[in-house]
Amino acid sequence: MDFRLSTEQIDIQKAAREFAKGEFDPDAALEYDQNQQFPSTIWKHACKLGFIGVHFPEVYGGQECGLLEYVLIIEAFCRQDSGIGIALAISGFGSEMILRHGNEIQKLRILPFIAQGRGLVTIAFLEKDCSGAPLTTTAKVSTNGYIINGGKSFVTLGSLAAYMIVVCQTSSVDPNAQSVILLEKEMDGIGVSSMGEKMGMRMVPMDKVSFTNVSVPKENTIGQKDKGYFQLEDFFNEMRIQTGAMGIGIAQGGLDRALEYSKKRRQFGKAIVSFSAIRNKLADIYAEIEMARLITYKAAWSFDKGRNDNQSILMAKMISSKTAYRATYEAVQIHGGYGYMTESHIEHFYRDAKALDLFLEPGQIQRNMLADQITGKINFIE
Amino acid sequence: MKYTEEHKIFRQALRKFLEKEVLPYVDEWEKKEGVPRSLWKKLGEGKYLCTWVDKRYGGFGAGFEYTVILREEFAKANFGIGIAGHSDIVAPYIADYGTEGQKKRWLPGCTTGDIILSIAMTEADAGSDLKSIRTTAVKDGDYFVINGQKTYITCGIDTDLVILAAKTDLNDDPVSKGISLFAVEVDTPGFVKSRKLNKMGLHSQDTAELYFDNCWVPTTNMIGEEGMGFSYLKGELQRERLVLSIWAQATAERILSDALIQSKTNQACLQPIGNFQHIAFEIAEMATEVELGRSFVDKLIEEFMAGKNIVTRVSMAKWWTSEMANRIACKTLELYRDYGYMEENPLARLYRDVRAQPIFGGTTEIMKLIISNNLGLK
Repeated sequence: MDFRLSTEQIDIQKAAREFAKGEFDPDAALEYDQNQQFPSTIWKHACKLGFIGVHFPEVYGGQECGLLEYVLIIEAFCRQDSGIGIALAISGFGSEMILRHGNEIQKLRILPFIAQGRGLVTIAFLEKDCSGAPLTTTAKVSTNGYIINGGKSFVTLGSLAAYMIVVCQTSSVDPNAQSVILLEKEMDGIGVSSMGEKMGMRMVPMDKVSFTNVSVPKENTIGQKDKGYFQLEDFFNEMRIQTGAMGIGIAQGGLDRALEYSKKRRQFGKAIVSFSAIRNKLADIYAEIEMARLITYKAAWSFDKGRNDNQSILMAKMISSKTAYRATYEAVQIHGGYGYMTESHIEHFYRDAKALDLFLEPGQIQRNMLADQITGKINFIE
Repeated sequence: MKYTEEHKIFRQALRKFLEKEVLPYVDEWEKKEGVPRSLWKKLGEGKYLCTWVDKRYGGFGAGFEYTVILREEFAKANFGIGIAGHSDIVAPYIADYGTEGQKKRWLPGCTTGDIILSIAMTEADAGSDLKSIRTTAVKDGDYFVINGQKTYITCGIDTDLVILAAKTDLNDDPVSKGISLFAVEVDTPGFVKSRKLNKMGLHSQDTAELYFDNCWVPTTNMIGEEGMGFSYLKGELQRERLVLSIWAQATAERILSDALIQSKTNQACLQPIGNFQHIAFEIAEMATEVELGRSFVDKLIEEFMAGKNIVTRVSMAKWWTSEMANRIACKTLELYRDYGYMEENPLARLYRDVRAQPIFGGTTEIMKLIISNNLGLK
């Protein structure tokens, strides 16, 4: 096995790292986090340089790369700043739903819109009680298409997105009969309100969206009617890998800072990096990040090769989110009292890391699914 | 811990006080990044400040059990680490090492809320390595001239009186014999509250950077004897660490109780999530850790009150309970799914606040250093 990245991948990684180093002003990052502001200028620059939607085909505004290349970019961005990295990574939240299941018209409409930085997109699937099926957001078939009623919670970017992809219940008989429908935020009957402040991931708003008799044409169905549940699971798979990328990026960013600080910080007459308790922490985190990175890259690589490697995908999210938590916990600890201060530029990594466990679905779900896979219960529908 | 009826009444009254005077306002104070002086005055009126101080100086003369009750209830409310510091970490320096004059001068105000105390030891380059402080106090007639900077000072913005550690002997050997303690009053020329520091959590707790720029402090403001500062600091650390262990333990107990409620009320697949074995077992593990912590902390309280030396074991308690509280905060947050991440959920703030505990009052790593040293491993 050749564990090396290709020359092209290394170039992309380098370009992303240089972009992030040059553009992610640390003080601006603290301000955006404090003020709950989306980093629009940085996002626009990232789009201009082709980082967003790098995994879309060229005809849809992308760079014809695979998911692994996008993973490398997300990792580099999150490494430089956890908040800006996450915000950029999910600026086109739901794009893969369109990329993999949309028709030509939908792809041409939405994907370049995202890649060129013309606007933000989001996907709404969670509801108040966080259950998956049946959903309370319904899409009743009408003469021209659907009438949508209901509400979604925890919609990332809800208030900023121009397009909203909504997972709706299209059958009251079959709990799994859901459809994925494309909405424009400006459509009549859509109401958006903030869910309030979050502990971390603060550059991205989390909103509640209500749908009151929203009329949507049939052409806005993404993929197949009643197959939404399975399409969503597909989408989740891709997002789990991307979450893995965020995890390793945030963890690495934590380690970078802890390493730098421990070399500078002197106590008891020496740089604290000389103390073996600190060295042990650094070595342990380094090893954990490398393991998380390997499983995440494997998941992405398998995905790009069209190989069914659901286990790696589940492990990528499960392991990377835990690694991000532990790495940033220790990174804060290595910084001592300074690590608790906002101006250390490390504490927000710890707050942002916690989002990953909860993002998409809680870590326990991946464990359940992984257990199902390894114990032989492959079908996740009971 | 054996509590009498009187103790129980005190705890009930304290809970009522917190419910009325604190809990409805905490969110506002978190946003404002400070608490009003009126709260300190109310605490003073309720006799909730420096309860242990001798009646001669305005205190209650209460035993340590009352301190335990106070710290437990405040910790459960996730509020008031600075109030704990004032009462149980800083005021003891005045009571234990101050002159009669100093005690009469300052302790009454500390019990009424008219004087808010802070302690300034840490500097930008001297955290865990306390001996390496560089703030100096040079004698000049009836004064000491203080120059230096302190940072991460709890109650640093609202403080009226700072107990400051400074070097009075620049040629000291060993280094620790050259440190002295001073009480610096807020309006002393040359004493500047430089800036409020933004933190991950504990937002309602004002943490500040303090500057001393040719600050002239009368010799009568020295606390105890010259050169004894470091010994005094060491002497008080046992109590400080015990109080912080009690705080961490009570925090953990509060989080566990939230976890139990959440696991019994939150539903997934039409049943309480606590019915799922993996969650039930996780909570069983948390409950076990909390139980172990409580046994340990209770034993240490008992021994402390009996005057025993608990230095090594209280260092164990301090690091272990604070790390444990963080472990269970992490797991409990997940029981709320995405709601755990919303600031509207008190647990989100608790998660941010509890992260400070393995750092302040001596990091986990320093605790382990002390323990290993005391076990004969150097």
